[in-house]
Amino acid sequence: MRSRAPGIAVWLLVAAVVLLAYLFAPRFISDFHSRELAGAGVFFIAIVGLNLLTGYTGQISLGHGALMAVGGYTTAALAVHEHWRDVWTIPLAGVAAGIVGFLIGLPALRLSGLYLALATFAFAIAIPSLLKKFSGLTGGSQGLRLLEDAPLQVTGLSGTVTIFGHTMTQNHFLYYLTWGIGLVGFLIAWLLVRGRVGRTFRAVRDSEVAAASVGINLAWTKTLAFALSGVYAGVAGSLLAIQVEIVNPLSFTFLLSILILVGVVVGGLGSLGGMILGALFVQYLPDLSTHVSTAEGAPDFIFGAAIIVVMLLLPTGVGGFLRRLARPLTTRLYLRP
Amino acid sequence: MARVKYLILLVLGALALATVAAGAASETGVTSTQVTIGGTTPLSGPASAYQSVAKGAAAYFRYVNAKGGVNKRKINYIYKDDAYDPSKTVDATRELVSQDKVFAIFNSLGTDQNLATRAYLNALKVPQLFVASGATTFGNDYKKYPYTIGYQPNYRAEGTIYGRYVVKHAPKSRIGVLYQNDDYGKDLLAGLQRGLGAKAGLVKSKQSYNVDDPDVQSQIAKLKAAKVNTLMVFATPKFAIQAYVYARKLSWKPLVYMNAVSSAANIMGLSTAATNKKQTEGTISIVFLKDPTDPAWRNNSGMKLYRSIMKKYKGGNPNDVYAVYGMSVAHTFVAALQKAGKNPTRAGIMKAADSLNVTNDPFLLPGISVKTSATDHFPLDQARLQRYHDGHWVAFGGLFRVR
Repeated sequence: MRSRAPGIAVWLLVAAVVLLAYLFAPRFISDFHSRELAGAGVFFIAIVGLNLLTGYTGQISLGHGALMAVGGYTTAALAVHEHWRDVWTIPLAGVAAGIVGFLIGLPALRLSGLYLALATFAFAIAIPSLLKKFSGLTGGSQGLRLLEDAPLQVTGLSGTVTIFGHTMTQNHFLYYLTWGIGLVGFLIAWLLVRGRVGRTFRAVRDSEVAAASVGINLAWTKTLAFALSGVYAGVAGSLLAIQVEIVNPLSFTFLLSILILVGVVVGGLGSLGGMILGALFVQYLPDLSTHVSTAEGAPDFIFGAAIIVVMLLLPTGVGGFLRRLARPLTTRLYLRP
Repeated sequence: MARVKYLILLVLGALALATVAAGAASETGVTSTQVTIGGTTPLSGPASAYQSVAKGAAAYFRYVNAKGGVNKRKINYIYKDDAYDPSKTVDATRELVSQDKVFAIFNSLGTDQNLATRAYLNALKVPQLFVASGATTFGNDYKKYPYTIGYQPNYRAEGTIYGRYVVKHAPKSRIGVLYQNDDYGKDLLAGLQRGLGAKAGLVKSKQSYNVDDPDVQSQIAKLKAAKVNTLMVFATPKFAIQAYVYARKLSWKPLVYMNAVSSAANIMGLSTAATNKKQTEGTISIVFLKDPTDPAWRNNSGMKLYRSIMKKYKGGNPNDVYAVYGMSVAHTFVAALQKAGKNPTRAGIMKAADSLNVTNDPFLLPGISVKTSATDHFPLDQARLQRYHDGHWVAFGGLFRVR
C-alpha cells in the first residue's frame, strides 16, 4: 500500500486542478465562450458514455446521436406538454434514453463487431423519421421550441439565474450545470471501470469466450453497458435541448452519432482522461475549419483531414498519448520505496 | 400569449438595466464608419450548396463598400456556418448577437433555422431581416414577431399560381404531387389546393418523402400507378433530379411543374443530363430573378453589373442563380438601410423594411418591385411563369401578384 500513496497524491492533485479550472474558468472568458464550453460539455458527457460501451466493453455503437435525441425530446416534451421546469427533466431524460439503450443493446447479444455497428446505425437513421411521425408529441418536422411554447419552463429566461443567493448569467449557469453533471458522470464512470463492473466490461471486450468461461454473464454485461451508456447520452441530449431551447429532427441526424464516435476515438478508446480533449475537438474543429476556407465542401474536407492526421500521429488517441507521457513519471513514483 | 408577453417583459427589463448601465448613445453594431450585420448559412454539411446566397450577398456589399458604403458607413456582413442544423443556428446567432454585437440578423437561411431563433431575436428586439425561406409564417405573423420579415415569394403563393394556371389552361389534368414532408412542402401543397379551388379534386395522388430519405423511387412509382399526367414536384434539388430520373426509368413522361427551390438552370441541366431532353422538356415553374445562364439577359445592364461584381468581388460561380438571389436581397438591405436614415436604429430599420418600394432592383425580372407596407410583410410577391424548352427556361405570360 505504501508504494501507492504517491500515485494517489498525483490523482488528488489532478482532481484539485480540474475542480479549480471548472470553478474559475468563466472568470477568464467571455460570456459567450462559457456557452460554447457548455456545448463541449454536452459532447463530453456523450463521449464518456460511449467510451464505457465502445472503449471498455468493445461494442461499437453508431446510434448514440439517436439516444441523445431520446433525451433531448424527453426534456422538450415534458417542458412543453407537461410544463416541467427544464432542468428537472434531466434525470428522466437519462432514464428514458437508458431504457432505449437497453433495448438497442439486445441485438448486441447476437451481433458483434461491424454487424452490431450496422444495427445501431439503422437506429440512428430511423430516429429523425420516427420523430416526424409522432408529431403530436414531438412537433413533427418543426420540432419543439421552448422559448415559444414553454417560456416559463426555461431556466434563466431573464438572462440571469440565482442559486443560493448567487446570481450568474444564463450562459455561466449552463456552463456550470453541464460541466458539473459532466464531472460527476465522469467520476461515476471512473469508479465503475476501476471496480468489478469495469473488469467484467474489459473481460467481455478482450475475449467473450474467456469471459463466459469464468462465469461472466455476457448478455447482462452487454445490455448493462448499453443501458449505462444510454443514460449518459440521454443526459447529454437533455442538456443540449436546455442550452439551445429547441429540439429539431435536423439536429439529430446520424452525423451526430459519427461525431460522438470521432470524439471517443480522438480522445482515446478506453481512456477517460482524453475525453475532455475529444469533446473539445468535436466542439471546436468543425467551426475552426470554416475559418480556414469557406470554399464549397472545404470545411468538411478539412475536418476529415484533421481526424486522419490526429489518428496518424496519435493512434491511441489523446488519452493514449497522455498515458505514454505520464508513464515514466508514474512508474518512478510507484517504484520508489 | 400572456406567457410570451411575460417573457418579453422580463427580457426587456433586463435589457433596459443593461442599457442604462452602459450609458450607450448609439445603436448596437453601428459606428460612424461601419454597420455590422450577420447571418447563418450552411457552409458545411449536406445543404452547403445554398451558401452561394450568402456569398453573392457578401460580394454585393463589398461592391457597395468600394463605392463608399451607405451614409459613409461600410457594411460588415459576417456569415457563420450552421451546417443546416437548427441547434447550431441558435448558437451561431447568439454568438452574432452577444459576441459580434451585430446591428441585425440578415438573410439567415432555412425555415426551421429561422424559426429556431425567431422568439429569441424578437424578445431582444434584434431585427431578423429578409429571412431566406419562403415559409408563409415569416410574412404572416408580423403582429406576434414584429422584428421578423421574409423576402422571397412565399411557398403558398407559388403553389397557388400553379393551381390557378392548371384551372385556366388544363382543367382536365390528373395531378400527382411529390412533396417534402415538412412545412415547406405542405405550404406549397396548401397553395396548390387554394389555387385549384373548386377543382381540388384534380389531385389524384399525393406522395411525401422525408428530407433524410435516400430516394423517391417508390413515390414516383406510386404516382405513375395512379395514372396522373401532371406531376407537381415540391422537392429540394436532390429529390427533384431523382423525380425525373425515376420517371424516365419507368418510361413515364408527365408534364412537370417544378417548384422554384429546384428550378435553377444548373439543376435542370443536371436533370437533363441524367435523363434526356425529352424528359425535362415542357416543365413549368415560376421565376422572379434574372437567370444568369439565360441568353436573353446577355446584354442586360443588370446582369452585366452582376457578372462584374461576381468577378471583381469574388462571389463564386457566376452561373449560380442563388448568387443572384443573394445580390437581390443585399440590394434590398441597402435600400432599407438608406431609408432608415443617417442614424439607423433597430426599430428604425424595421420601420424602413415595412415601408419599402424598390423598383430598381437590377437582379429581379423587369417589372418586379420589392414592396412592403404596414400590413404587407411579403417583400417579393410577384413572379412570372416559365417553361423549359430545349435546355433553357423561357418566360411566358405576364406578372402574377399573389399573397
